[in-house]
Amino acid sequence: MQTLLQQIINGLSLGSVYALIAVGYSLVYSILLFSNFAHGGFLVIGGYICYFMLRSVGANIWLAGAAAMVGAGVSAILTERVAYKPIREKTNITLYLLIASMGMSIVIENVFVILAGGRFRALPPVIPTSPVNVFGVATTSMFDILSLVTAVIFLSCLQLFLTRTKWGLAIRAAAYDLRVAGLMGVNVNRLVSIVFFVAGVLAAVGGIFLSARYTLYPQLGLITIKAFIAAVIGGLGSLPGAVVGSLILGLAEMLTAGFISSQMRDLVVFLLLIITLLIRPSGLFGKEVKEKV
Amino acid sequence: MRKGFAVLLLAAFSLTLFVGGALAEEVVKVGYLAALTGDWAAYGQTELKSAQLAVEEINASGALGNLKLELVPYDFRSRPEDAVNAVRRMINQDKVVAIVGANASGVNIATAPVVNQAGVPQIGTVSTNPYVTMDESGKVRPYSFRVCFTDPYQGKLIAYFAAKDLGKLKAAILYDVSSDYSQGLREFFIKSYEGYGGKVVADLGFRGGQDVDFRAQLTEIRNSGADVLVLPNMGKEMALIMKQARELGMSDIVFVGGDGYGEFMWEIAGDAMENSYWINHVSPEDPAMQPFFEAYKKKYNDECKEFVNGILAYDAVYFLADAVKRAGKADSEAITKALAETKNLQLHHAVITMDEFHNPKDKDGVVLIAKDGKGRFYKKVRPE
Repeated sequence: MQTLLQQIINGLSLGSVYALIAVGYSLVYSILLFSNFAHGGFLVIGGYICYFMLRSVGANIWLAGAAAMVGAGVSAILTERVAYKPIREKTNITLYLLIASMGMSIVIENVFVILAGGRFRALPPVIPTSPVNVFGVATTSMFDILSLVTAVIFLSCLQLFLTRTKWGLAIRAAAYDLRVAGLMGVNVNRLVSIVFFVAGVLAAVGGIFLSARYTLYPQLGLITIKAFIAAVIGGLGSLPGAVVGSLILGLAEMLTAGFISSQMRDLVVFLLLIITLLIRPSGLFGKEVKEKV
Repeated sequence: MRKGFAVLLLAAFSLTLFVGGALAEEVVKVGYLAALTGDWAAYGQTELKSAQLAVEEINASGALGNLKLELVPYDFRSRPEDAVNAVRRMINQDKVVAIVGANASGVNIATAPVVNQAGVPQIGTVSTNPYVTMDESGKVRPYSFRVCFTDPYQGKLIAYFAAKDLGKLKAAILYDVSSDYSQGLREFFIKSYEGYGGKVVADLGFRGGQDVDFRAQLTEIRNSGADVLVLPNMGKEMALIMKQARELGMSDIVFVGGDGYGEFMWEIAGDAMENSYWINHVSPEDPAMQPFFEAYKKKYNDECKEFVNGILAYDAVYFLADAVKRAGKADSEAITKALAETKNLQLHHAVITMDEFHNPKDKDGVVLIAKDGKGRFYKKVRPE
């Protein structure tokens, strides 16, 4: 029983970090209807900015974190401008965008291999990791609680942004139909930039937590494959779906590793994906669309 | 007869001492296979310098009588295919009678067919894989030797240290299912540990290079009641495991690992490293090695940073010199025979005896303890 509770807590904390990344995927998908595989790159950019601010500039975690978020957000806008906008304006076949995003993810990864080198870097211990006892039955680290709380805060802010602001309304409208939203007087290019900025910021937050926990290296972005699967399970394009999908995935991974075998972990994850695609191709919360890549 | 021989030897010895260079000097050509360029250049440079230091000391001491060692260094550029060529040239052109090096299992396995066909003995320095001195069919390679201990033996050392020295009899093991090194260590650890009265209460795997989150396995280990966690892996994963274990509140479990230890692990694991134990070949703080470090520094005006390679190369030459002395002549066959018969030879870092597979038998292992941001000499262990 105690073990079960422990593994559930482990799973939730892992799932909450996936959620931050999965939401970014879903947000971009809901507007442009393609999976942005360069998303993992934004996460790596955020991680490295945070690392260099902490190590070289000597900034505190708040400043470094803010710089990482802004930096990753701006990189996301630039990526969109350089790689996606020209395609977006020429054709409405989203497959080209998908391919461009794969290319961008390779570019970003290799830029860091050249600039920062392939070695593993550890963030200075800025986020407390002391063990915390939960109601006397399970132990988790302060880090897990902080990442869970941070994820909740950022996701709530996103929810407020989407429901209470004018740009949020525009994004929701564009999620229904980008072209009609454009016809209604929404500046589509600016809207897309805002969406990418938000996705970049969330990726940076995920990146900081991931690199603090698992060390930082140019291939860290690959971990987002899990977040992508979570977004698909939850339903690409649906934000609540992305969160729920992430938590399911985090729990499934931890429970499998804890009670069956750690080698079965990825098998279960991909099995979940296949089952979802077979039974409910649009995911748990997804809207029906013709193509889903 | 034997006694007579010894007396004769002694007489010859004292004669050389008195007469000095009057007796004809016989040169013993020894090839040295080192990676002087490429990825392993730092290791190879240190090895060659250490070996040259050993040769000078031995020749100056006159311990070999009228025999003089002469080193013939060859660079294998960190590549096994170049090593094969280098060994061929040493044997065919330079006519060496023995070869010392290289420092990697893969290289020694590649050169083994060449030296065994030519009948020239080769001594690996840090080549720990069992197949360095044993062929695929499980037979000993007659001309291949090594001065370091093997991976299986390392598993035994970890087991002995955990059970007998620390007195921890409930072990958990977390190993890399995708690494031969890790699997091998695990297997031999378990076998020996049970022999020492220990019990493996949790035996869990992960996939190296992919997994970064070990909390699920660690939770299971915590519930198993293990008092020692054995880590037969490479640096990064061990660092993450230790960090995550302490985060889960596993404050009492003791970490014991193998020679995958690296100083960079401190950067990742931080304080979680403190008081962990690491089995290794040698230690820079070993009191017995201090004269070597001083001589090295004096001769080259540089610290011996790659100390594992430095010490093992240095002692590999002393190991060979002892065999040359007993062989009494610059002859590959006689030296090979003497190498295989080496018994209780006091080297600088350990006492070695060759077993039937040309591996040092029951060799001392060094235990490092992680303290204040560094791996420090803790003690030497030798399993019973």
